[in-house]
Amino acid sequence: MATTLPLRRGLGTLLARLKLHRCRAVGLAPIVLGRVWIHGEGEVVLGDHVVLDGRVAPIELHAQRGGRIVLEDDVAIEGGSSLEAQSCITVGAHSRLGTWCKVMDNQYHPLRGNRHERPASVPLTIEEDVTVGSRSILLPGTHLQKGARLAPGTVVSRRIPSGVRVGGSPARVLRTEEPG
Amino acid sequence: MNAPTFPLHPALVMAQLAEMRDQFRPRAERAMGILRAKWFLRDCHLDWGVATYGRVVVDNQGVVELGPRLSFMGGMVPTTLTCHPGARLVVGASSHFNYGVSLEAWESVSIGERCMFASFVRICDRDGHRTAPIVIEDDVWVAHGAILMPGVRIGARSVVSAGSIVTHDVPPDMLAMGNPARTMSMDLVARGTGT
Repeated sequence: MATTLPLRRGLGTLLARLKLHRCRAVGLAPIVLGRVWIHGEGEVVLGDHVVLDGRVAPIELHAQRGGRIVLEDDVAIEGGSSLEAQSCITVGAHSRLGTWCKVMDNQYHPLRGNRHERPASVPLTIEEDVTVGSRSILLPGTHLQKGARLAPGTVVSRRIPSGVRVGGSPARVLRTEEPG
Repeated sequence: MNAPTFPLHPALVMAQLAEMRDQFRPRAERAMGILRAKWFLRDCHLDWGVATYGRVVVDNQGVVELGPRLSFMGGMVPTTLTCHPGARLVVGASSHFNYGVSLEAWESVSIGERCMFASFVRICDRDGHRTAPIVIEDDVWVAHGAILMPGVRIGARSVVSAGSIVTHDVPPDMLAMGNPARTMSMDLVARGTGT
């Protein structure tokens, strides 16, 4: 067992790198379980020790032309999540995204006027140590600051201060962490 | 620098070919989608020009009428159309469905023209307590992950925002948002970016 484990881990990393061959850069020891769809003409950059668990449903990383998806170190994303970047999506280190999350930095259709022309994108930032519950929807303009936590099913489109737990649709503050 | 005078300059030919390919590709995909729709939607009353770009699962025991020029996108989850015995599911012309949309009719679901449905929208006219018809008028945009409860009528040109759960009627030209969905005038929703 002790001798086979490193070999298996090496093979797993190799397989993960094969699945991530469309990324612009992949850090150390990525773990990819199940399916990951990386499409679009933009660039996808992964940090070290990224975990993509696409066993339930494929994970979609869709960086369109001129778009950029950055997953920093130790990011974990679960199955069915979909990140769609027209300009830039950054997921900070040690963040976790639950299943069936939707992260988009463009509304794709304007609220007023011609529905078929595309509105401007707003870069979307998730800072370090953020936990996003499953089935959350992060709309353009979301900025989750360090240590924010999103309950499952939250819909966010603005800045969430650090250390705050929010939930619901539209998102409300459920709990604020006391500093220290 | 002069432009190349020789008309069959290789770079020009390649650029022309690439342009022709880019123009041709959407038409070819559309044609494939129309053929695929003939197979996936074989149990429905199908009007012309319906295209599916991914899997669509149809369980039709009632009447499903699909209007002309619909398109169903493909993605990680198939779109499902379910129609129970004696029910009626009508979709108007030029509507657009992203992947994972789930339409279920126990009595009547009718969708107007030029509507847009984003991914993971759920529309079902029975919720375990009651069954009531759902009416969606023309030009409605239902965003990602919204759920429409039975008996809801969405007015023309309204927008149901992402993740909202609509339990009451939405008048025309309004924005429904939240859980449960509250309606607000679209003129009041003034965000400088993204809208």
